[in-house]
Amino acid sequence: MIITNNLTKLYGEQTALDHLNLSVKEGEIYCLLGANGAGKTTTINLLLGFIEPTSGSAFINQLNVQESQRDTKRFLAYIPENLMLYPSLTAVENLDYFSGIAGKTLSTSALKELLQEAGLQPEAFDKRISTFSKGMRQKVGIAIALAKDAKALLLDEPTSGLDPQASNEFGSLLQKLRTKGVATLMATHDLFRAKEVATHIGIMKDGQLKQQFTADDISLSELEKAYLDTVEYKELAL
Amino acid sequence: MLSYNFKYELKILLRSRWIQLLSIVLLLLFGFSALNGKQKVEKRKKDITAAHDEVKENDAMMLKLLDSVERGMEVSASRWTIPTSPMAVGNYHPRVAAMEPQPMAFMATGQADLFTHYVKPKVTGDDVALNFTEMTSPVQLLFGSFDLAFVIVYLLPLLIIAFSYNVLSSEKESGSLRLLAAQPIGIRTWVLQKLGLRFFWLSILVVGSLIVVFLVLDLNPFAQFNLFLGLLGLILVYMLFWFALAFLVNLWTGSSSKNAVALIGVWVLFVLLVPSVLNQLGNTLYPMPSRTLMINEMRSLKAEATKKQDEILDNFLRDHPEYAINDTTQFRGFYHRYMASQKIIKEELSPLVNSYEEQLQKQQEWIGLFKWISPAIITQESLNQMAGTSTGDYENFRNQVVDFAGTWREHFMPFLYNNTVFSQADYPNLPSFQFKPKTHSSSQAIPILFLVSLGLFGLGFVVSKGIKKGGILETN
Repeated sequence: MIITNNLTKLYGEQTALDHLNLSVKEGEIYCLLGANGAGKTTTINLLLGFIEPTSGSAFINQLNVQESQRDTKRFLAYIPENLMLYPSLTAVENLDYFSGIAGKTLSTSALKELLQEAGLQPEAFDKRISTFSKGMRQKVGIAIALAKDAKALLLDEPTSGLDPQASNEFGSLLQKLRTKGVATLMATHDLFRAKEVATHIGIMKDGQLKQQFTADDISLSELEKAYLDTVEYKELAL
Repeated sequence: MLSYNFKYELKILLRSRWIQLLSIVLLLLFGFSALNGKQKVEKRKKDITAAHDEVKENDAMMLKLLDSVERGMEVSASRWTIPTSPMAVGNYHPRVAAMEPQPMAFMATGQADLFTHYVKPKVTGDDVALNFTEMTSPVQLLFGSFDLAFVIVYLLPLLIIAFSYNVLSSEKESGSLRLLAAQPIGIRTWVLQKLGLRFFWLSILVVGSLIVVFLVLDLNPFAQFNLFLGLLGLILVYMLFWFALAFLVNLWTGSSSKNAVALIGVWVLFVLLVPSVLNQLGNTLYPMPSRTLMINEMRSLKAEATKKQDEILDNFLRDHPEYAINDTTQFRGFYHRYMASQKIIKEELSPLVNSYEEQLQKQQEWIGLFKWISPAIITQESLNQMAGTSTGDYENFRNQVVDFAGTWREHFMPFLYNNTVFSQADYPNLPSFQFKPKTHSSSQAIPILFLVSLGLFGLGFVVSKGIKKGGILETN
């Protein structure tokens, strides 16, 4: 569902992404780990078509992202680190707007069902987004993905800044989407959450995918060691 | 996408109080400026009516005096003011040559604060001495008039800038643009729709506020329906121009602060700098000759003419034998000589007067040539034309008054040179002035501004295509 072939991005002499080969199939959750500047967000931006690759290609639902940007976005949902919606609109209105401009016309009851499915409390449906916490906004983001009937979900640090309960709820939502066959690519620093929700985990450094694991084949401590070894974490240097 | 943008843009604008705020601001600005304009027009009408009333009173007195004289009664009046003398009628009982305000005159002061709206040409005055200037406070002239045209040309663009400068950049800065850009939509089309909807709502507010203000102030907008439609058309294309600029700037630059500075810069350029630079250049390239020089020249010519009055009169009577034949008395006094010399003075002065006219004409041609650089100039000019207060309208009035002054003078010449007295029977034949408003050719401002706006929208698309992909998502 999500495929990158030798995807490379250079900014002048600096390599942001170096021949990335990645594949996320239906029902898989692939967590990309790495320090800041490892190339996680660049990968997501390239998959969204926000930036052009220097070389290589990316595919969503077998469509080349660069060649069919608008079509690939029909199958794609994206939740950034800070999901910003329209603060003066309610949750239902925001969902109606974003699903509407994506070409999905839904009734108010259907919109509310989606919000409920995304885990939002019913009393929050008609409240303005300006009163929402980050966790509640992320749930509206999930509802947008559900409304779009997205085949692929791109998440950029979605759990950063969430409290443990909200983070846990978010993990459960991802599992729910996984059962629907959604292919999820999540960039994160959160090793614990990655181990908990992912089916596959990759560790990036300097734009390269250094290591890949199947989540079931590695324990949290092994993952932590692999991560620290890969990113060459030096405690004293801090 | 349009239906969703339409539905939610209005909700966002209502909840952010933009619509309410704009409605109040527009009502206040339009209301105050239209009231100002209305009061000025009423004063102008009152002045003209007072002048007409004064003439009526004078005429009544004149007819009484004539009646007394014709009955052979003694009258207690100075000999030279008794209206049996045609020169006394021509000098002391002039008609009012008035420029009645046009139906939309309240809209734009234009040249109305510089020029007078009625003149009383006398039989002995010369055309160049007719005074068309108005006594106005220099402070008022410095700051201009707070009329509807001022609100439309100067202030409305500022409201549009405040309403549109950050349509895209605020989405960038708040972070919601990334979510939008992840949807299967074109960001340029989305910006165009957002600005289009803001243009639509602002247009509704502007038209609604204008109608409300006009009705409240008893300025029935539907009485001159074509003019009112023209006014709305002009305002809408002028607004469209500023929205098109906002579209271009939104796509071209990056942050809200840069957009605001860029748009304000364009406003200063088009609304303030270009008009004043054009005016200054016009004055520098085609300077007006010295008025003092003209007055001195006029005085010396008159002095020369006075010395040669007998000779001039002889020449004049040779040219007009009809006056010499019909008069049995052959009496020739001051006025005979004076009126004969007037024509000579006029001919002698014409090169000097024409040099003024030519320079003024050249200045106007210069501004006319380059006025298309600034939409503010062409909008102001069109509004002045609709209001009947443009330079052309006052030029038209001046020409009509000069023509009428000639008619008035000529009317009394047979009386003077035939040495016949003016009687009550001659009163109904006195010439009267009827102002004919200038008919302006249909304004080219609307189609030109419309095409320029379309060009700017097109340029916006072209420019944004040149921006590196993803650049539109970056906050510069």
